[in-house]
Amino acid sequence: MGTAEGITSLLREEETFSACLARIDSIILKPMLQAEPYDQKGKENFKLLLLLNDRFHALWDVTEDHHRALRQKFSTSTSFHIQDIYIIWKADLFLRHYIHSQGCRVASCAMIQSHSEAWKNHKTALKQFLTDGIPETSVSMALHTILQKPIREHVQQYSLILTRLSEATGKVLTFACRDSLMPELWGFDNKGDLHLYQNDALRLPERKLLEDSKNLPIFASTGRSDQVLLFSDALVLVQVNYVGAQEMAFCSLSSCHEQFFPLLSFCSPNPLLALCPQAVWQWKLSQAVRQALNGKRDFPLWSKAGGGNEPPICRCFKHIFQTEGRLKNAAYEGEWCWGKPRGKGTLKWPDGRNHVGDFKEGLEHGFGICLIPRVSEDRFDCYKCHWFEGKMRGYGICEYGNEMVYKGYFKDDLRQGFGILEDTSAEHPFKYTGQWENDKKNGYGVWDDKNRGERYIGMWQDDHRHGHGIVVTQSGVCYQRMFHADKMVGSGILLLENDSIYEGNFTEDLMFVGKGKLTFANGFTLEGTFSNKSGQGLQTQGVLNTSSHHQLGLNKFPVEARWWGIYDQFLGFVHSGCKEETEESFTGFHVQTSKELRKSQEYLCCQRGAEDAPGKMEDILEELVQHREPELLHCYLQKVLNSSLHPLGKLLKTLTLAFQATYSGTGANRHLLNMAQEEVKHYAKKIWEFYQGLLHLALEQKGQPLAEMEDEETSNLNAYGMILPLILPCFYPELSMLYMLYHEKEDDLYCQGIVNLSLFSDLKLLEFLDVQKNDTQLFVCLFQRRSLIKDKCFLSATECLQKIIMTVDPQEKLEVLQKTYEEIESTVSRVAGKDYKLPMDDLLPLFMYVVSRASIQHLGAEIHLIRDLMNPTNTGGIYDFLLTALESCYEHIQKNIKLHHRETWHSSRDSRCL
Amino acid sequence: MMAIRELKVCLLGDTGVGKSSIVCRFVQDHFDHNISPTIGASFMTKTVPCGNELHKFLIWDTAGQERFHSLAPMYYRGSAAAVIVYDITKQDSFHTLKKWVKELKEHGPENIVMAIAGNKCDLSDIREVPMKDAKEYAETIGAIVVETSAKNAVNIEELFQGISRQIPPLDSHENGNNGAIKLGKQTTQMNRRCC
Repeated sequence: MGTAEGITSLLREEETFSACLARIDSIILKPMLQAEPYDQKGKENFKLLLLLNDRFHALWDVTEDHHRALRQKFSTSTSFHIQDIYIIWKADLFLRHYIHSQGCRVASCAMIQSHSEAWKNHKTALKQFLTDGIPETSVSMALHTILQKPIREHVQQYSLILTRLSEATGKVLTFACRDSLMPELWGFDNKGDLHLYQNDALRLPERKLLEDSKNLPIFASTGRSDQVLLFSDALVLVQVNYVGAQEMAFCSLSSCHEQFFPLLSFCSPNPLLALCPQAVWQWKLSQAVRQALNGKRDFPLWSKAGGGNEPPICRCFKHIFQTEGRLKNAAYEGEWCWGKPRGKGTLKWPDGRNHVGDFKEGLEHGFGICLIPRVSEDRFDCYKCHWFEGKMRGYGICEYGNEMVYKGYFKDDLRQGFGILEDTSAEHPFKYTGQWENDKKNGYGVWDDKNRGERYIGMWQDDHRHGHGIVVTQSGVCYQRMFHADKMVGSGILLLENDSIYEGNFTEDLMFVGKGKLTFANGFTLEGTFSNKSGQGLQTQGVLNTSSHHQLGLNKFPVEARWWGIYDQFLGFVHSGCKEETEESFTGFHVQTSKELRKSQEYLCCQRGAEDAPGKMEDILEELVQHREPELLHCYLQKVLNSSLHPLGKLLKTLTLAFQATYSGTGANRHLLNMAQEEVKHYAKKIWEFYQGLLHLALEQKGQPLAEMEDEETSNLNAYGMILPLILPCFYPELSMLYMLYHEKEDDLYCQGIVNLSLFSDLKLLEFLDVQKNDTQLFVCLFQRRSLIKDKCFLSATECLQKIIMTVDPQEKLEVLQKTYEEIESTVSRVAGKDYKLPMDDLLPLFMYVVSRASIQHLGAEIHLIRDLMNPTNTGGIYDFLLTALESCYEHIQKNIKLHHRETWHSSRDSRCL
Repeated sequence: MMAIRELKVCLLGDTGVGKSSIVCRFVQDHFDHNISPTIGASFMTKTVPCGNELHKFLIWDTAGQERFHSLAPMYYRGSAAAVIVYDITKQDSFHTLKKWVKELKEHGPENIVMAIAGNKCDLSDIREVPMKDAKEYAETIGAIVVETSAKNAVNIEELFQGISRQIPPLDSHENGNNGAIKLGKQTTQMNRRCC
């Protein structure tokens, strides 16, 4: 082919292209420009469209210019210089326009979606372009094809002609141009995959081609059609699936794949080039990597590979992801290993989303802080969370942009398991503590409505109250009934402040409706049909009833069904083998005491130093194994449960939160006592169970013989005997409040008795309490030394007994009781001048004297708390006996003092006369 | 190893009939006297062998005064056995005994073993309650009966042996818990406060 011929075809080509562009302009672009944008999104797209239009026209102008110049040259001179060919001469200019128009076209694709409406009118116009055998597809697809195809074909033609020209002239002219163009062309034909079009990473003008496998075969034996391109910052592998590809195959391939590897993600030995590429390739690649890493070019001498030129496997650099998927367009800056983000890094999306944290295998994995912009507001949701293979899993804290805070567990980016959601905003503050499923409240949970001063304790389904529930109000009124999607259904039990009980249907405003039964505290019942305020057909009955001690929630919410979301995490932790790196995601962050709270919050935001890391799991397990002897175990458990770093300590913290959410404040209602008491005991059982689990695991890992499985009885004994006293301080404030409320009436009565008795002088009181009748000798002794002791009998015993409220542990309280007895005994022995073994006939009155003088306010609550929570092995033993003695004193003062009220008064007058 | 069963025993009876004297005598020569803590004469323990078991008696004294009578249920709840004591020289104390028996039948634990002790048999010359009356009464209620003397240590051991024999063996006892506390392993809770 001669030069002239080539030029002719070039001219012809230019003409066609120009005409084609003109057609596109008149049929597509102009109508599009005329269509008015109607919404925000449309306006943005319109800007893009304008840009596209500009570029399009620039391209068109260049083409026209080129055509004119070429024609002029061709007509004026017959001797044609290859340099005159405009596209070669000004290849750069052409390319720039070309690239710009490509970029715009990509944007237009997205835009067209929203424009489809307007385009329905132009469908016929489009069809004119789609005549050449392209099946009808969506509007956007068609439009894309229209904008794309002529240009692509044009470039193909260029290449073809240039090749012919170069053959004709014998000079290599086209190489640079072709290679620069080539990346632009890949995948353009892959109609099914819109995304590949958007791959404009390869089209960066600043990118330099360093090597092409077409020039320097990558493998010694060339049999493969794969092409590898080494750019200054990337390595591209083109896999050609087209058999019999021709010289220009890369343009006309109907299907080709490309694999794009950021150069820096390469490590040595290179996985791609694992098939023994030529040494020169290896070397070039290493050079390129190193240069890119250093950010400057150097000119090393060719030498044997190695010699310190090998780039490191793990590197730090920044890369913007191009490939489709979640990470598209995201910029990652940080540590890489084996070509994937691994270690610490920052990932930023164009929409403002960013993630700082640990990565593994290219995905978020481990602790990370992620900021996600809210759609409507200029605010962020901040997730401080654990991630697992790119998704949130495990414990996390999310501070939502709308002032809500969630602290709890996630799974697959959704709230799942136990969690606390709190809204502290002024309008409608609330707090939910409970189970989540699928990002919604599901299962057992407690809702605290802070404005209404109301608390709902019960079952949830998809964010609604659903199932059995208890509502407690600030005034002390509470009820239990069924809910169905937030509405109350069926009948329920309403417990009023004045100790009356209503069973039946009632409204949310606590109006009685329909059939019901109202039982008053004095035992009278009203039965019949209620309508608003007036009762109809009511019957009265006199039935004795002990309503004040009615307990809620016992059979509806079995203690095993509460808070399993918390236990599950711990169980998961144990089952997964207690890996150190997963510890935090299972058991939550270690939160320091309130003093250090400020610091701990910073700690979450900033770099988490090694010194803050929770104690090494190995050490924890080792310690566990070494502290199995009973005494050591007790010390160990005490230490561990108080630690904010140990898994068991963290578990206890979480349980404390759950407990407080239920029973503190509004939840302090005497009808919830049994629920609370059961719950604390269950905590003890669970913690013991988990301790056993940890021990089992530790022994297994050390290859030591496993401990025998305990039967349930022993396990309960351990739980109540060992764990319960240790964990009780965490729950004591709420629990003792519940006991006080429960025993309020009895305690009031008892206090009255104490006040009455306080009118007695000490000796009168002893006399009154029958001490003299049984042992005259003892009494005479006491009486004779009256002057000596001066109305201060048994002061030491009294003071000792008062200490009973200073401790939390029931066992310690019982020990106080025993000391009190010892004080009484020693006083008696001192007065009597000999060892005196007190029989109950003597001891009880003396004890009663001490109890009345100690005047402990909530003695009834204390006694019952001790009895319910003491070590069950005490039953029947010495402590049980002392407690029973104390209880009998309490009962006696409460019951009988009232009967003796008159007598008391007389006696006190007598004593004054004395 | 022999299983230890803890048996709660409560003492009932008028004041002055010698309830605590009986117990003091019973535990006096006991080997673990020094180590097992007591509350004066009000709470004492003694372990005796019985068949292939060891019975550890946890003996709870009660105040005999009439005015404390209403408090007794707290003491006898959960008891495996009750020893009801009267004074053979005081007819009144035998009346009180009958009241106790009646109350235990009505409000006491099921299957409670009752033992009647006519104390002060050393003073039989001023006896007011004939032996025959006590025996006949005991038969009607199916109770153990012995006349004891705490002072001369007469029949004290026998009284408690009688109780031991009446306690149902462990197996059949599992379901009907009559207050005895089974202790599988003597675990460490008792002395766990040392550190």
